[in-house]
Formats: sequence, structure tokens, C-alpha cells
Amino acid sequence: MFKVELLTRDGAAIAFDAEPSENLLAAAERANIYLPSSCREGACGACRVTHASGDIELDAYSSAALSDAERAAGGILLCRAHAHGDVALHAPFDAASIGFAPTPQRRATIVDIGPAGARAMRIVLQYEEDPEFGRAAQFVAGQFGELEIPESGIRRSYSLANAPNWDGKLEFLIRLQPGGAFSTYLRERASIGDALIVHGPKGQFTLDEASLAPRWFVAGGTGLAPALSMLRHMAELADPCPARLFFGVNRVDELFALDALEEIRAALPQLAVTICVWAPETPPETRWRGFAGTPAEALAQSLANASERPDIYVCGPPALITAVETVALAGGAGATYAERFSAA
Amino acid sequence: MFCYQCEQTFRSDNKAGCAGAKGMCGKDAATADLQDVLLHVCEGIGQYLHRARRLGATDAEADRFLLFAFFTTLTNVNFSAAKFVEFIQRAAQLRDGAKALYEKAAREAGETPETLSGAAAFVPAKDMAGLLAQAGEAAIRKDVARLGEDVVGLRALVLYGLKGVCAYAHHACVLGEERDAIYAAVEHALDLLASEPEDIGPLLDEALALGRANFLAMEALDAANTGNFGTPEPTSVRVTPIKGKAILVSGHDLKDLHAILEATKDKGINVYTHGELLPAHSYPALRSYPHLAGNYGGAWQDQQKEFAEFPGPIVMTSNCLIEPQPRYRARIFTAGPVGWPGVRHIANEDFTQVVQAALALPGFAEDAEEQRITVGFGRAAVLGVADKVIDAVKSGAIRHFFMIGGCDGAAPGRNYYADFAHATPDDTVILTLGCGKYRFNKHDFGTVGGLPRLLDMGQCNDAYSALVVATKLAEAFGVGVNELPLSLIVSWFEQKAAAVLLTLLALGVRNVRLGPTLPAFLTPALVDVLVEKFGVLPIGDARADIDAALSRAA
Repeated sequence: MFKVELLTRDGAAIAFDAEPSENLLAAAERANIYLPSSCREGACGACRVTHASGDIELDAYSSAALSDAERAAGGILLCRAHAHGDVALHAPFDAASIGFAPTPQRRATIVDIGPAGARAMRIVLQYEEDPEFGRAAQFVAGQFGELEIPESGIRRSYSLANAPNWDGKLEFLIRLQPGGAFSTYLRERASIGDALIVHGPKGQFTLDEASLAPRWFVAGGTGLAPALSMLRHMAELADPCPARLFFGVNRVDELFALDALEEIRAALPQLAVTICVWAPETPPETRWRGFAGTPAEALAQSLANASERPDIYVCGPPALITAVETVALAGGAGATYAERFSAA
Repeated sequence: MFCYQCEQTFRSDNKAGCAGAKGMCGKDAATADLQDVLLHVCEGIGQYLHRARRLGATDAEADRFLLFAFFTTLTNVNFSAAKFVEFIQRAAQLRDGAKALYEKAAREAGETPETLSGAAAFVPAKDMAGLLAQAGEAAIRKDVARLGEDVVGLRALVLYGLKGVCAYAHHACVLGEERDAIYAAVEHALDLLASEPEDIGPLLDEALALGRANFLAMEALDAANTGNFGTPEPTSVRVTPIKGKAILVSGHDLKDLHAILEATKDKGINVYTHGELLPAHSYPALRSYPHLAGNYGGAWQDQQKEFAEFPGPIVMTSNCLIEPQPRYRARIFTAGPVGWPGVRHIANEDFTQVVQAALALPGFAEDAEEQRITVGFGRAAVLGVADKVIDAVKSGAIRHFFMIGGCDGAAPGRNYYADFAHATPDDTVILTLGCGKYRFNKHDFGTVGGLPRLLDMGQCNDAYSALVVATKLAEAFGVGVNELPLSLIVSWFEQKAAAVLLTLLALGVRNVRLGPTLPAFLTPALVDVLVEKFGVLPIGDARADIDAALSRAA
């Protein structure tokens, strides 16, 4: 048994013991310490921390979750790491992101379902009344939930698109992956009244409320979901922090949630929205007159003219994350917070 | 950032004060700096209103804003930097209005208006970055190199005492009780601070003047509370949960609690008090709501654990907020002067959303074993049995009264107050108020002379009640308060306690024991003044302090 010490971004020290045979995520959970994580298979990067000292061995993982450069800089994935000596780690999240009770697992029913542009679907769930949790949808804007189709073994992570609420409503925007198990369910079988199991809330991709910097959100496709959640939360609180959104899709017919964005803009007047279409289509009647390019390109242009260093919140496919991180670094942004999609 | 206004401030061998990225209270440097700027602009308001009042002109809106603005800067009240940008802009508008008011009054009186400088002429920047760049002009210690620690420490005592006065006066104001004399005192203190005083004498005089103003503020608050909700009566309070939907209300604000009780009437929701709202159960108008079910938890510093376990929404009224944790962040609401970035705020006493939250959350699954304590021994209850008290003292049944009151906190040294209470002899009475009592108020101290040995007089906001009791007993015995068999053992944490201490000093009350530490802003020389002039003593060993109190009384 070895001692693991984890120092959080805000300076809190968390300690637990680990056997060499168990990964560090599981070892922490044995001590009722629930660290940020998602796929638990080395594919998503949600449990990435920095290894400061001690002997660690890593199981196989995806380079999308931990690049060679990140590994060279000390990055490890808690779900893939085994201690072979006392270990010290540095976490990129605050102590507030750590749970000390198991993640809730609740039943919910689909109450609305429909397309969200050409390549995604929007579903709204309603929590069932639960003796332990009631019916409230309590989460921090920007978090995600894992949706499980009962008795199927199919379980996928999706970001919440709405704000915490007392009606027990959960809104998800889900990209349809060709051949994807959950996508196939959504496309072919899902209907109003279906029951799903929700594991969550999870994740630390949430607003840095302590930061005084403007908040710039960059969303690729259904990566818009957590940005919508955070912006809706800001609107509810009449948060005066300057905010911008760069929302990009590949084609015009993939656009969605434009009505929701208008509603948010009405409630959050300081919000500036840039819609980006990478490959505008040709029919003259639908010719795109907005920004033609990726949200990372739009971000680069805006950063060049920014008077303040904004914090960047980016969610979308790994290529977008990488592009935005590069732009943010070159353009002098403040902190960059990222949530990567993994195909499922 | 530099702040040393509360008891928990960072201390090391050679310095005291929070000066890093975040204070011990959890307040970040930007928020602390913006608070300094806000108070600086408020000094400018005070400069003009002080002069306008002399000419018979007043501005009630600006005066009320001063109370609110100062209250927001107390420890554990408002942590939202964005809110302080709004407050500063509002303060600047009111300052311009106060200037116009003064200049008009002066001209009407045939005077040439003074051209004021300093805070009166300070132009706050329009945005946060600009305001933060100006914070140095408003910092409490900006003149320390030139004037030394004593003057700066005494300025701090005045500023922090003023915060306490404003907090009490704001509580009274929202319930409809205002006093011109309090506003005049606030304006006077602000004008003095704006003049950047350099002499000890005027500052010490001002501190005592604020103590007297605070007595008025506490009197106004007492009138507000009793006028709106009746006279506190001894009341048995359940301190364990009942099965069902639940709302927890913390802080000090009886008006907000009343609004929540109204909003939840006949909705099957139990309302629990937390922390300093425990005494609310003794007010007839609040107790008349059958769903005011009981008290939950202990003092403020335990809230992160207790709120996480509470199965319903939580409302933080007035002060005592510490960083909301993820487990309850979505279901905690702030109200009035309180705020935290990203936490829902009730600005207009509309608690509809809190009711929705209570109905959506599970509530308590089952009844806990019933436990009760008795509260409500305010001035009316104690003086109602004054004859019994006087007889018991004269017969020797009651040898001494210990007033163990004030704030609780996380510091280990605060065990002293529980140790003290438990060590008091059986022929003594413990009067208590404030949340420090949570360390011993569930203990059965028995009775003496036909009275419970532990008499809970209320919140820290009810210090007036204790002073009235002391004064009336002194009258009955034909002696001064200092000649009564009464010792004051005060625990302080924040600025309301500083104001109460100034009141005790202004009223000539001597030999107050203060702890768990002395304020960091008081230099050794200033402590010597307090010891010499007022007999203020630090707490020591509980049993030795009891012996000393009893031997002095004997």
C-alpha cells in the first residue's frame, strides 16, 4: 500500500492509499474521494493530472486523452495509473470539484426529442421523483451526465445544455455518430416516455467564478451544450461579466439552437455571438453571410483586437480544442478551460 | 489586498493581516480591494452629508445606502467582485447627489460651499480594472509608513466599529426603525476618516462616539424586532429534524425569515433556523407559524458540513456565509447584503424560487429523536423575574452572573468559552447571546434560585438586551454596572463585535475579558490604552479567570 498525495489547483491537499493493483481513480474512490473522471478507459482525458514525484506505471491510453507532449510534461491519467511507491500529484482542478460521496444514479424519462440541425439531436429528460434526491436537477452549469439505456450496457457521457433547475429537467444536445450505439438508439428507437438512467452530474468544466476576466466560449457542434448551460446560468443570475460565444459547424444545415441563443442574448445583453460555418453551402437562397471559417479562426481575429485577456472555455472535437489552445496561447488569452468530445 | 478586520486574520510572528491572493475568510484580493474603494467613495458621501445635515438638509436614500454598503463589507457577507463594481458606481451617483444637496443648502443659508478634496473628489473608474488600479488610494494602511501603526490601528478601530454600527442600523432600518442620530454619527465618522486624521485623541473620541451610536443602533434594532414580531418569551425549541420538506434559514435577518414563513404557509414545508436565527423561535409573531419547525445545526463555521447534509434549500440572510461547497451550491440562496459569485440571490424578498426548490428536494426522510432547548430570555423575560433575581442575589443563592457572549469561530482557542461555562459554579447564572453559545447551549446546567442557570438572551444583535438587564439590575441594587456581581466574557469574530465592544467602553463598563485573541489592528500601545482606561483583559485560563472574577466580586 502506497501513499498518494494530490495537491489541488487552489492548494488543498488530498491523501489516500493505493495498491499497485488498482488504478488511482479506484483507489481514491475506495477512500470515498471521487475525483473528476468520465470514461475511465483512458479515452477522454477528464482525469488528467500532473505527476510530481514517485513511481507510476500507466496502462494503455488514447493519445487524444494524453498527448505525448502532455505525457512528457508529467501528465498522467488517474484511471490508467498505478502507484509503485509513494506518489505526489498536482491537479488542474479546485478542491470543490472533488466529491466525497458516490455520483448519484437516477431514473429519468424522455419528455422531448427532436433533431438539432442535420447531424444532432436534442433530448429533454425529466427526473423521476427520488427519495434521496427529490426531483430537482442540481448540477453546476457546464457539467455532464452519463446516460445509460437500461439493461443494454450502453452508457455515454453528454454535456447538459440547460441550467440547474427545480423542475428536474435535463437538456442534452447529442451529435449522431454513424454506427454509434447511443446514436442508433436515438435515431431508431428513442421516443417520449422512454426511461433512461442518469449518472451524474460529473465534470469540472464549469465557470471559474473567481476569475475577473471576460468569458469567451468556443463551441464546435454539440460542444455548444455546456456553453449554453453556462450562459443560461449567467442570464438567470444577471451576471455582468463580459461574454462572447464563437459557435461553429461545418455546414449551414448543421446549425441549431439559434432560438435559444437569441433568448440568452435578450437576457444577457453583453453577450456577443459569432456563428461560424466552415464550409458554407452554395444554394444562393441559403448562402451564408456570417463568418466563414472555424470558431478557432474567429477567435484568433477577435483576440487580436481584444483590450482585455479573456478566459477561454472551449468544448468540441479534439482538433478544435488543439486549435483553440494554440490560438489562445498565441493571442494572449487568460486561462483556457477545455472539454474534449470523444466519439461514441 | 490588505485586511485585518476579523479575528481569523492571518497571523505570524511578526505580522498580522491577510495580504495574499485570498483572505482567511475566502475573500479574494480583487473583492477586498474593491471593498476598500467602495468605502472610500462612501467617505465622500459622508463628507457632503455631514455638512448638509449641519445646514438642515438630509438624504435618506444615501444614508440607507451607507448602511447597506458598509454591511456588505463585513467579514463573511459579500464575496462578489462584480457586485462591488455596481455598488461603487451607485455610491458615486449618491455622492454626486450629496454634493448637490450640500451646495444647495449652503447657498440657501448664505454660505459659500466648501470645495472638498480627498474622498469627496475621488472619481472612481468605470470598470473593474480601473477600480483595482485605484485601490491603493483607499487602502487602510496607505499612510502607515508616515504615521505609524498606532494611528493606522486606531483608524481601523473606527472604520471597523463603524461597519458594526451600520450592520445593526441596517437590520433596524429594513424593519422600519431609523434614527437621525445614527445617520448623523455615521456621517460624522465618515467625515473624520475622510480627513485622514493623524492624532490619537480625536480618533479615540470618535471610537467612543461610535460606541454610543451603536447603543442607539442596538436600541433601534431591539425596537424593530420587538415592534414587528413581539417580545421574546422563553420558548422550547426542537433541535432535531422532522420528516418532510424543509428550508433552512441562516444569518440574522428576522424580516427575511418572516417572509419565508409567509411564502411557505400551508405548503407542507418545514422551516428551520440555523446559527444566529435560533432566537427567532422566541418571538410570538414568528413562533405563531406552526411550520417554524425547529433549529438545525450549530454555529456558522460548521455550515459547510451541515448545509451539505441538509436535504432542502438554504437561505443565507445578512452575514456568516462561507464558500458554498459543490454539494449544496445549487440549492443555496443569498439575500440582502450577502453574495457569492455564481450563487442565486434574492434581491426583492420574493422567495418563490426557494419554495420551488424546497418542493423539488427530498426533505427529511424520517423524524429524528426529539431534543429541545429553551431560548428567549431577553430583557423582558429576565426583568420580568427581577424580584426573584434580586432576592436570590441578596440571599446568596445566586453568587454571580457571567455574561458569556459573542461570536463563535473555528480557532481552537474558542474552547475556552465552553470550558468557562462548564466550570462556572452551581450558584452562578450564565447569560449568553451570539453564536458562541453553540459550544455549550445543549448542556443541562440545571437551575439556581428558581431560574435556569443558562439564560439565552438571543443573537449577537441582542446585545442591547443584555445591557438593559445590567443597567436595570444596577439601578435595583443602587450601584453602578461595574459594581454588580457580573462579569463579561466576550468572544469576538467580526465587526459587529467591535462595535459592541466600543459600546461597552463608551458606557463605562470595565473589566471585559476579550478573546480568543485581541484584534490584530490594535497595537500594543493601543491595547495598553484599553487596559489602562477600561480594564479590558485578554482571556486566559478558564478556571483562573472564573476565580479572578469571583474574588473581584467578593
